[in-house]
Amino acid sequence: MREILRLVVVLGLICSLSAAALAYVREALAPRIEQQSDFYVRGPALERLFERPADELLANKVVIESDGLSYPVFFTRENGEVTGIAVEAPGHGGYAGDIVIMIGVDLPRERLLGVEIVAHGETPGVGARVETPSFRRQWTGMTVAAPAALRTDGGSVDAITGATYSSRAMIDGTNQVLDLVRGRKAEILELIAAAGDDRPAEGA
Amino acid sequence: MNFRQALTHGFWRDLPPFRLVLGLCPSLAVTATAENGLGMGVAVTFVLIFSNMFISMLRKVIPDKVRIASYIVLIATLVVLVELVMKAFFFPLSQQLGIYIPLIVVNCIILGRAEAFASRNPVAISMADGLSVGLGFTMSLTLVGSLREILGAGTWFAMPVFGEGYEPFGFMVKAPGAFLCLGVLLGLMNAWSRKRGEIFIQT
Repeated sequence: MREILRLVVVLGLICSLSAAALAYVREALAPRIEQQSDFYVRGPALERLFERPADELLANKVVIESDGLSYPVFFTRENGEVTGIAVEAPGHGGYAGDIVIMIGVDLPRERLLGVEIVAHGETPGVGARVETPSFRRQWTGMTVAAPAALRTDGGSVDAITGATYSSRAMIDGTNQVLDLVRGRKAEILELIAAAGDDRPAEGA
Repeated sequence: MNFRQALTHGFWRDLPPFRLVLGLCPSLAVTATAENGLGMGVAVTFVLIFSNMFISMLRKVIPDKVRIASYIVLIATLVVLVELVMKAFFFPLSQQLGIYIPLIVVNCIILGRAEAFASRNPVAISMADGLSVGLGFTMSLTLVGSLREILGAGTWFAMPVFGEGYEPFGFMVKAPGAFLCLGVLLGLMNAWSRKRGEIFIQT
């Protein structure tokens, strides 16, 4: 009995101290990691979606809450009108956790500008192929009105062979964004208007 | 093993991955460029030194029955630490190494040194052992990465080595090139050791 107790206490202590140490470091480094991923991932992704310099776009950010999750929304304006938004969402159901994607939406035309991958842990050579332009190209021009789906589920997106989980996770993330844009567009625009008050409208 | 041996055995006698033939997964997977090899080597060295330190410190506290579980928790903690630090300060490198950083947890070199050395030696000599094996691993990975990058891309640490006219031997930066490069190096090392009459693992 004493021996079992010792096993439990020692292993339990090692685990809790490790967890505490990691939680502390993660918390301490979070702002810096966020800033790095803005610079190296979100910035270039926004540049590709909106074809504008990143430093102009990264500051244009609001956050919308839905079902307990907060979705960062980036936007771009032309002549004071919000013409494009890019919503970041965690696509659930990937082979190694969420695939965080960013979807660009052309608001006047109600079409998608494209999809960019912000973070993922998929297997190199298999699930990680969701990053390839030939796969992501399928998002460009997709309509906001209808939900996205894989071709096997009656939709328009060809899944990556051998990486159905990863492909489904991308679809899941896309539909979260589409639901937001369809259902809460007015709210998003209000948030953007409120955020933009103290800034001169671009291009105006 | 005395202190001096512990500090130097990783450079030739137990040089990973060639002599230990452990840790082959990262040696093959991330050595397409010299920079990636170096980055992976440094990450592993950090984890090795401190996992050896903690395991040696706790060697009388950890019960035998849960030792492997305890080692893995300690190693995993250090690896996640490395991952976070790398993301915060060397973001492009962490993107390049991707999934192979978390996979350091299951790198057999680290568990091997914990089980074979740190669990039965005092703290200072265990850290020396970790440093030595880690530096050996870093050198090997940088060497493999350099060879593959120079031959396969015509650059070294992203600096051009050959003139414009060099046609890169693209095979070397792909997966089969890694096996070829590692195999040839291992063969050369063994041939050299045989000539010198050294005792080595692969007979």
